[in-house]
Amino acid sequence: MDINVRKRSQVQLIQLRGQLRLGEPVDQLTRALDELLAEGDTRFVINLAEVPMIDSSGIGLLVRFLASAKRKGGSLKLVNPSSFAQKTLRMVGVLNLFEVFEDDDQAVESFT
Amino acid sequence: MSAELSAGPTDNPGEFANVLELRMSGDPAAIAAVTDTISDKLAQLHVPEDKRMEIVLALQEALANAVVHGCKNDSAKEVGVRLECYSSGRILITVTDPGQGFQPEGLSDPNRPENLHSNSGRGVYLIRQLMDEVSFENDGSQIRMWKY
Repeated sequence: MDINVRKRSQVQLIQLRGQLRLGEPVDQLTRALDELLAEGDTRFVINLAEVPMIDSSGIGLLVRFLASAKRKGGSLKLVNPSSFAQKTLRMVGVLNLFEVFEDDDQAVESFT
Repeated sequence: MSAELSAGPTDNPGEFANVLELRMSGDPAAIAAVTDTISDKLAQLHVPEDKRMEIVLALQEALANAVVHGCKNDSAKEVGVRLECYSSGRILITVTDPGQGFQPEGLSDPNRPENLHSNSGRGVYLIRQLMDEVSFENDGSQIRMWKY
């Protein structure tokens, strides 16, 4: 999985490419988010447009870091999940836990 | 990963099946090669993309359970996968692990409010939502998943 992280207006914007599933993809994103949280970041936007599939371990990761960010006064918001990813998140009832935006700009601006 | 391909008549008269058997080590890193192989095979057989994605995600979840719970992430252990694609369009996937099994009826619904924020516990529920018929054999160490 490709993970591209850049900071915009105090928000960490994370662009993912590939399947978010058990093994290296979930481990890689967990490490990246753990590091950002340890450095004091609490505002995250994850762009899922190029993530065709998320498995239950990927869902668990998103839910866990949403909770961690919120505990520290921030949040984790999603951008443009692919239709199958959105369907999967809805299927297990967690889509409504997240704020979902159509593009990065809207998601970043929502923090201000 | 090892693979064996065969085709021939089934127990049901007039129906033929393409059969693909795979074996993989009990290592999370081995899962992607199996799901990619099955996805490619389903594409070759002209299974529509929506149906294919549902099957592949269900397989991903079944393999994750087999590796994490059945093999305890021990790469010396093996998981078996069998894909049967019938001429009627029905698809059966069987995943077998060497573990002690589990009690599927003991799993709680991840959609319940108290479970929504949980980090885990969604895999079997997803499989049941994505596939048309799911059964557990051998005390839960084998899962059979049908897509019609």
